[in-house]
Amino acid sequence: MRIHDLDGLHDIRRTGMMKILPGKPRIGVGMGTCGIGNGARDVMNSLAEALKKQSVDAQLTPVGCFGFCAVEPLVSVHIPGFPLVVLSQVAPDDAAMIVKAIASNRPPVEKALCKIEEWDHLTGHVMYGRGLPDLPNWNEIPFFKNQKKIVLRDCGLINPEDIEEYIAVGGYHAFYQATQKPNVNEIVEEVKKSKLRGRGGAGYPTGVKWDLLRKAVADQKYIICNADEGDPGAYMNRNEIESDPHMLIEGMLIGAFAMGATQGIVYLRAEYPLAVHRLKRAVAEAREFGLIGEHVFGTNFNFDIKLIEGAGAFVCGEETAMIESLEGRAGRPHPRPPFPAQKGLWGKPTNINNVETWCNVPVIIARGGSWFAEIGTTHSSGTKVFSLVGKIKNTGLVELPLGTPLKSVIYDIGQGSPDGKRVKAVQSGGPSGGCIPATHFDVAIDYESLAQIGAIMGSGGMVVMDEDNCMVDVARYFVEFSHSESCGKCVPCRAGLEQALRILKKITGGSAEESDIQDLEELAQMIKEMSLCGLGQTAPNPVLTTLRYFRRDYEEHLRTRRCRAGVCEKLFLSPCENSCPLHMRIPEFLELTKRGRIADAAEMIWLDNPLPGSTGRICQHPCESQCRRKSVDAPVNMREVHRFISDQIFAGPLLAEIKMRLAGRRMAATGKKIAIVGAGPSGLSAAFYLALLGHDVTVFEAREEAGGMLLYSLPQYRLPKAVLRLELDVIESLGVKFCFNQKLAAGVSLDVLEVENDAVFLATGTWKAMTAGIPGEESPSVWHAIHFLEQVARKEPTNIGKKVIVIGGGNAAVDSARTALRLGCDVTIAYRRERQDMPAIAEEVDDAQAEGVKLMFLVSPQRVVSDERSRITGIELMRTKLGDFNLDGRRRPVSSGETIIVPCDNIILAIGERPDVEPLRRSGIHVRENDTAAADWVTYETNRPYVFAGGDLVTGASNVSSTMATGKNAARAIDGILTGQDHFADLLKTVDVPQVVPAEPEGGARHTSPELPADQRKSHFEETILGLTKENAIAESSRCLRCDVHEPCAVKG
Amino acid sequence: MIAAEAKPLSEQVIDEIIARHPDKTGDVLSVLEEIQERHPLKYLPEETHDYVARKMGVSRSQILSVVTFYAFFNLKPQGRHTVTVCRGTACHTRGSKPLLDSLKASAGFHQDDEETGSTASFTTPDFGLTIRTVACFGQCALAPVAAIDHDIYGHVSDIKLRKLVAAIDAGERQ
Repeated sequence: MRIHDLDGLHDIRRTGMMKILPGKPRIGVGMGTCGIGNGARDVMNSLAEALKKQSVDAQLTPVGCFGFCAVEPLVSVHIPGFPLVVLSQVAPDDAAMIVKAIASNRPPVEKALCKIEEWDHLTGHVMYGRGLPDLPNWNEIPFFKNQKKIVLRDCGLINPEDIEEYIAVGGYHAFYQATQKPNVNEIVEEVKKSKLRGRGGAGYPTGVKWDLLRKAVADQKYIICNADEGDPGAYMNRNEIESDPHMLIEGMLIGAFAMGATQGIVYLRAEYPLAVHRLKRAVAEAREFGLIGEHVFGTNFNFDIKLIEGAGAFVCGEETAMIESLEGRAGRPHPRPPFPAQKGLWGKPTNINNVETWCNVPVIIARGGSWFAEIGTTHSSGTKVFSLVGKIKNTGLVELPLGTPLKSVIYDIGQGSPDGKRVKAVQSGGPSGGCIPATHFDVAIDYESLAQIGAIMGSGGMVVMDEDNCMVDVARYFVEFSHSESCGKCVPCRAGLEQALRILKKITGGSAEESDIQDLEELAQMIKEMSLCGLGQTAPNPVLTTLRYFRRDYEEHLRTRRCRAGVCEKLFLSPCENSCPLHMRIPEFLELTKRGRIADAAEMIWLDNPLPGSTGRICQHPCESQCRRKSVDAPVNMREVHRFISDQIFAGPLLAEIKMRLAGRRMAATGKKIAIVGAGPSGLSAAFYLALLGHDVTVFEAREEAGGMLLYSLPQYRLPKAVLRLELDVIESLGVKFCFNQKLAAGVSLDVLEVENDAVFLATGTWKAMTAGIPGEESPSVWHAIHFLEQVARKEPTNIGKKVIVIGGGNAAVDSARTALRLGCDVTIAYRRERQDMPAIAEEVDDAQAEGVKLMFLVSPQRVVSDERSRITGIELMRTKLGDFNLDGRRRPVSSGETIIVPCDNIILAIGERPDVEPLRRSGIHVRENDTAAADWVTYETNRPYVFAGGDLVTGASNVSSTMATGKNAARAIDGILTGQDHFADLLKTVDVPQVVPAEPEGGARHTSPELPADQRKSHFEETILGLTKENAIAESSRCLRCDVHEPCAVKG
Repeated sequence: MIAAEAKPLSEQVIDEIIARHPDKTGDVLSVLEEIQERHPLKYLPEETHDYVARKMGVSRSQILSVVTFYAFFNLKPQGRHTVTVCRGTACHTRGSKPLLDSLKASAGFHQDDEETGSTASFTTPDFGLTIRTVACFGQCALAPVAAIDHDIYGHVSDIKLRKLVAAIDAGERQ
């Protein structure tokens, strides 16, 4: 079997091609470790059985991984005369179907992902066959579309355990070519010309490095392949070895020949047993075929490869540490020079390159250095393989020409977050790299551009993070890793990382002080500048980049002692509580409800949320998206339970008791007077808490009643006014005074309020409708949603007409549409994006549709169409299509050029509201560019002393619970400033709640409130959702898994 | 029984292993790795350090330095079964820390914040089970990942992992 010359190589090439195109069907099963982890072995066995059972003559072979991990197991089927068909997510049960299709000479397109008609292995070419026009080509599907496979050219197409298949696609030909060069310098020159740079991360020019070793004079030279892929989150080297081990061996052979080395070593992680197995086998095969050993191809070249398994030390990826390790010692780096090329393993000149660097070599020799240099950018040539993982839909190995923008990887290839959440950052380069925020996703992926923004290319790990990932925790995670992997030799790294970790733990544990962030920053800088080796020099990068791009996350941990993402467990009670802007103690009130302790539950609910009946009906319920019960069946219906509790209270004698309990909690009168401007949810919340804290509170309201948007904008069928009035009654019972018809500036002046009160809280909301800027919108038949809804709420006639178009996709759009429908109109909502992009509560959209509201997507308003008497006859809409991704991860609607005119007689614009900041400006309150009041994000202080601002006035249009939270937090801050103490903990203290975790999930399936059928509810304004029954509310409460109880559970589940 | 199992590997076996590594490059690591793998409780008792040092002609301190430096080597007996929770970045972002904490709690270990890093390891007193972590399995697309002995499980949840562990317990009792 030994190959002596080119003829010998060609003979094997022919034999090998008979395996790839055997003249009969061939089935390849992707058998990388992740394929196997996804069940590829079972698929392989089932296919073998099915072939036997159906007596089908086909070749069944393991192949490497084609890279699309998210849809594994991958199986490829080739029937002569047809393209190769790649099947995805193949289950063992599919085997019979696949074999049956093959038996009838038909590719099994049912499970097909894509097809491959021909494949350029770059060193060879395979023509599979044309046809199957309905099936996309492999490079037409999003995951592969922008990829360029150079390193991964063979992966998933050949059997990695068969050298003949590698030779069939041109393998070892480049090595042969290299051995025939009259001057070995040519090989090094070719590598230099390719501008290939080290793929381990540092990016040192490979040709230059090779030249150093080539020129070194010694009796023995070594080359080492660094396969100690220790960067957590990166696995491209594993796949390269598992899927195409001969590519690595050939690269090393060429390198050894060019540099005059006789011994090669592969230092491979022991955590990769399959890679170890395949590489060992490949080395044995290459030896058997005479490619490794003595007098290769009849030359004087002698070479052997030895495989050493690393023992789990990240620092051994550093070249001097790796040499120490190979010499049998702890892997501690030493200063360079001397460089390994001068004095390396056992004191001999040594070259170390990363797996992927070696893998690029055969192609460079086969196709030429200039061919390679043309791919990628001027300074970063070729491609790089990245492992795209974390919170991303299309996980997998992605090979890209360098210079590709990052956003193309995240949104085009990766298709964004898997569950519609916002992508927050990408961590590139592992513990040595940095976190790149979404706002920088237009960065080009090349060595210099990434370094410029503080990240590094590294070995190619890309871990995508979403809003559920805490960036402080990420920094802590990496520092913890680097700290535990520090070899301990130099002080900056050993002691510095220890101190950095201590500070990070303080921040994530909620005990940090103001100075800690600055200390951390200085420490990180010091470690970076003063450490001995790459590990220490780069270990601070995750800290420095998160401090640079996510400073607000740090400040939030520090100032509010909260972790918004819900990761730092000491900073929250449970995921639901943490996601609730009001931080309602949800698991506890559920426990009380479950035990039938309605009054106790109600007291706790009120203390956390003074409008429990309203929010119980209209809250966006972020709690549900975080509920862990989801992993069992469906999230707990928490909102409906607190609605049930408040309905119970309002329905009977308990109301008096709750009022009494709350009054009993009222702290001693402080004598401090506070004026609140605006009786919306934010102002009312502030009033409630400030009254409880013992202050004298007066609320000034521009309109004639309290409630703000809840009263004047929320339709009755969602929130009956009676509920709100009962809630107001409770607030009033605490001594809060109201002055109506007092508009700021016009009726009541801030100067006067300031003089007469100890503090003022401004919460005047967002009552200024935004305009669409289209011709004709000034017509009286073009409404703004808030004005339309207010007019209906006031029971004033609207004469809205018969056919209404609502422009927008938020809650105001849906509320307007359902309201107009109830007034007898034919209603269509026109939205510029798609349904899943609508900001409105999803259930509301469903309900609207069920009632007969029509939905139109991908249209944007152009002009109002009127007749000669200025009566509206329609609206002209531009059809849009979704174009490029914005940096916020949403596709930008772009005009398609096609317009349509939709007939209508009235138009409602629901495209947003803004605060009216003119009165503030005139009073000298600072206003931000986006027309919101400038206030501290924790204390809500404005630039005027003792004047605070909150609610939508500060945040811009938000939702009820978020706006209430600003009022609640402002109340705490105002009380703190006026009394010098924080009374909140005392104020909110309640009865002890049993701390028991249910041994098994209880309560059965999710309980929902009965709802009036669509045809019975669409003609009136009666409430549509009727609320849980007592029985169901109690059962629903028992579904809680009590994530708030952190102690180990008593019962083993 | 445990005492018997925890005994060092016989000198004869160690000699054989050493003999298989005549080339000195990487030999210390490879020899120690093999010895540990052969040990029923997957660890390197002190007597073994001494013996290996003598046979390979290196100092005892060098052996001790190596076995304490690399995460792979265990100085204490390991459980007959091992659950390894991957603490790679992709797994971390998908909740491997709470997974590990919950697993530890269910096996009766108290949550100890200080026991962190990529090398944490916990063994039950009866040597039935070891819970440990790995820096990264390189199975990131399946995150979060855990391995039971040598079988890797992807997309594991708290409940799934506890069930898998319970299945080992059940298997042991049979």
